[in-house]
Amino acid sequence: MMFRKRNRRKVPGLNTTSTADISFMLLILFLVSSSMDLDQGIARQLPPIDKDREKQTEAMVNSRQLMKFQISKDNKVLLNGKDFKIGSVRAAVEKFVSSNGKGHIIQLQADRKSSYNTYFEVQNEIMAAYSALRNHRSMEEFGKAYDLCSVEQQQKISDEIPVRISEVYEIQAQENEGGGEQ
Amino acid sequence: MSFYRRHGHEIPALNTASLPDLIFTILFFFMLVVHMRKVTVKVKYQVPAGTELTRLVNKSAVSYIYIGKPMNGWGQVEKDRLQVQMNDKLTSIPEIKQYLIRSREEMSSEDRQAMTVSIKADQQTDMGTIIDLKQTLREANALKVNYSGVYRTEKNK
Repeated sequence: MMFRKRNRRKVPGLNTTSTADISFMLLILFLVSSSMDLDQGIARQLPPIDKDREKQTEAMVNSRQLMKFQISKDNKVLLNGKDFKIGSVRAAVEKFVSSNGKGHIIQLQADRKSSYNTYFEVQNEIMAAYSALRNHRSMEEFGKAYDLCSVEQQQKISDEIPVRISEVYEIQAQENEGGGEQ
Repeated sequence: MSFYRRHGHEIPALNTASLPDLIFTILFFFMLVVHMRKVTVKVKYQVPAGTELTRLVNKSAVSYIYIGKPMNGWGQVEKDRLQVQMNDKLTSIPEIKQYLIRSREEMSSEDRQAMTVSIKADQQTDMGTIIDLKQTLREANALKVNYSGVYRTEKNK
């Protein structure tokens, strides 16, 4: 012990200047390899393929409670066989649903040659009408917007105003009707 | 001037010791916010715009179907015909059914209930393709569908 030199040697500090560069590289790697796009869209529920569904739908359809939208092959929207502007779909659906209540059915039939864009827009307008009605109802009942309500409250309102859209599938030659309800 | 003391103050070097920490913070932020690209999209598509959009939750239960024009590795459109891409490869609509049934079997039981198919179709797609696709999805018993869209702003209206 006595022979050793007394002055303690200091451990030199680790040089961390390049840590910034390294983490920059990691950052850039993540920026390049990832996507920021949000996955969002119109959520729908398709009807299951069932043999006994024919009876079900037939029993419920009442011609006065049926609103029939058609999209022709040149992308025109028809309501009950007459020309209709896409901008007025929302107001018409709102009026129809609020006057017919739970029993209503909205039928949507798109020609095989019509474009997806028109179909999407009609779906969007119908959903907008429903959400406006639901918002209105939840404001009356709970004093807040539908999105801000609790799960039970949302359930209650969606029972009162169900989304009832039936889509007609045109398969090649023959027509096949399927009730799509949410 | 001469009132000031002559010996010039040396400007101290900026302390960059906390710089790595800052950048790590940004890095972690990005890692949390962003999700990784799992598939290479081989078709070019532009989804329609809408206002009533809901976000996709539970990403592990989502299968993606893309419909658009096929493009090569440099992003140029090769053919003018619409093609369907399921998750990672170009397929045709009848093949999707088998694929969906198989991927349903591989899922955990919670995911199986929440199984959703996200349809990312080009605006110009004809409804015939969409109708056939929906019919296939019904046959495969994948009934939750999400028509992908972008939020409509005044610009892209």
